[in-house]
Amino acid sequence: MTDLLSRLPAIILDGVVLGLQFGLLAAGLTLVYGLGGVLNLAYGQMAVISAMAILFAVNAGVPILAAVVVGLITGGLLGLIFDQTLLRPIYRRQGEARVLLSLLLTLGVAFMVDGYLNWNDPTAGLTIQIGGGPIDVFGVPMRRGSIVGSAIVLAVFGLLFVFFRSTVLGRAVRSVIEDEEGARLVGIDPSHMLRIILVLSGVLAAVVAVTQSMIRPVTVTAGFSITVLALIVTVVGGLGSVSGAFLAGLILGVINTFATSEIGTFLSLIILLVAAAVTILIRPSGLLGVRE
Amino acid sequence: MTERFAEATGTSAVGGTEEHAAQALSALFVPIIAIGAVLALLPLWLGDSRVLMSVSVLGLAFAGYTVGFNLIFGSTGQLFLCVGALAGLGGYGAAIFADTAGLPVIVAILAATVVSSITGGLLSWIAVRRSLGVIFTGIVTLIFALAFHNLVLGLGDLTGGESGFLIESGRDTFLRSDAPAFYLMLALVLVYLVVHGLLRRSHVGWAFRALRDDEVAAELAGVDVARYRVLAALIGGAMLGMTGAVYGLTQGRVSPSTYDFAEVDVVVVVMLAFGGIGSLFGPILGAVTFTVINELLVDLGHLRLVPYGALIIVLFLWIPRGVIPTVGDLLRRRRSPPG
Repeated sequence: MTDLLSRLPAIILDGVVLGLQFGLLAAGLTLVYGLGGVLNLAYGQMAVISAMAILFAVNAGVPILAAVVVGLITGGLLGLIFDQTLLRPIYRRQGEARVLLSLLLTLGVAFMVDGYLNWNDPTAGLTIQIGGGPIDVFGVPMRRGSIVGSAIVLAVFGLLFVFFRSTVLGRAVRSVIEDEEGARLVGIDPSHMLRIILVLSGVLAAVVAVTQSMIRPVTVTAGFSITVLALIVTVVGGLGSVSGAFLAGLILGVINTFATSEIGTFLSLIILLVAAAVTILIRPSGLLGVRE
Repeated sequence: MTERFAEATGTSAVGGTEEHAAQALSALFVPIIAIGAVLALLPLWLGDSRVLMSVSVLGLAFAGYTVGFNLIFGSTGQLFLCVGALAGLGGYGAAIFADTAGLPVIVAILAATVVSSITGGLLSWIAVRRSLGVIFTGIVTLIFALAFHNLVLGLGDLTGGESGFLIESGRDTFLRSDAPAFYLMLALVLVYLVVHGLLRRSHVGWAFRALRDDEVAAELAGVDVARYRVLAALIGGAMLGMTGAVYGLTQGRVSPSTYDFAEVDVVVVVMLAFGGIGSLFGPILGAVTFTVINELLVDLGHLRLVPYGALIIVLFLWIPRGVIPTVGDLLRRRRSPPG
């Protein structure tokens, strides 16, 4: 017992690092679903393309910070292209038909991206090295990459909260999430808001690529697993809720790390999945979702 | 009474309404026999090529999966994203029952089918009890599928882990030769079609349609929505499990990738959505079309996913409801011009 107690700080800190990644994964997906009722199954591929853009820039001799900016712009552009092309026909449908069509069309995109990247160079992978030895946090040695990655995620969530609480644009976006007709009546153009959110979601996918690559390589085949993980965290947190994504990410991250450390790697993923399933069954609307 | 039900449910694959029950039954069996006859000729044409025969057997397995998925999703609106997992339960179940437990092959297949069926029913029961919507049912079953995949990898002593399970049972029998395996799978698919077709024509099909059109209205009209959903999942789960079990035995090996989510569920959803969700023959059309497309593109290696993905996008923009319902509407409009 004392043994577990001495390990607990490390487990919780590692869990928080992982959980922040989980939360960030879900943020971009949950926003697009909340606003447009669109499920983007090519979300992981957006992150992978951004990672490949950074890799390309780095290989071309661009300094790493500028390369990251290239990646973020790529992500944003991908969101914009998605909004201008595939989203048009999807948006003409309502309710479940819209979700199903968005699911199928983005699946097609995911196939195309995976196929091309895998054919082009199956071994490509982005790793961003953060130099220097481990840093002590509350007596636990933490890898520098994990700390920088977590700090970026926290900053991004901070910016998102400020954006949605305090800016006119952010409030306009939230008003569309809550009541599309009402927002239209007070002069907010929902399709304009959707475009902004898609660009934002693309940038968030690029941030996922950046922070993930500080912890482990982002490979060309990572797209699908990123999407699935993002989907699970999104649903546990509540569709459309950014704070829900944050909370669900942290909880699932800590559960996963605890299970890995105390029970074993193979069962830890199953425990994570069971935890997600139980949450959905107890609260079908998610932790912080709105009950319909 | 039967006549009234037949009338209420007597929509054929292309959506025409039959006059009375006898005609309705022939409208069911004639197309199934026709499909069976055409597909039965395939080995005569492809028989020399082992590769093409194994592609055809896999195509039939997918036809079986898609019929089962259609019964669960198309008929009762439960998005089961664990098609591969339920099939894998059948495949690994049959392998373990036959090899490890030493049961006769046919008993092993049936036992594995029961396991898949009950698992499907249980998942459906949970979803119904918690009144989960389409997306949430999808996520919960997806989570089940991922957990199953990890269990198979983790329980390496029982399942052979990553490298798979080599099945000893059924070796040197007709199961492992090309043509008999093909006809066995074909027979399974045809039986599934008959089962689904008869269900659609019975009071069960009437309940399916009612609950899919408007769940609340169906419940108010006295349809026990929960019961029919679980029933559909039990039958569909059995179809998935049996297909997975028989396919595994014909291959002599089951591995995690045989029943992987990306390899099975994604393909099955695309096949069904192409043929027409809820239409009786949509699964066959989808399975045949995408098996052929996949084979035509096989030389491209990984790059084949690019035209495959582009095709998915174009198809669903063009015919979002699937081929059979769209063509059915066109035919009906031509037969009775508006006005």
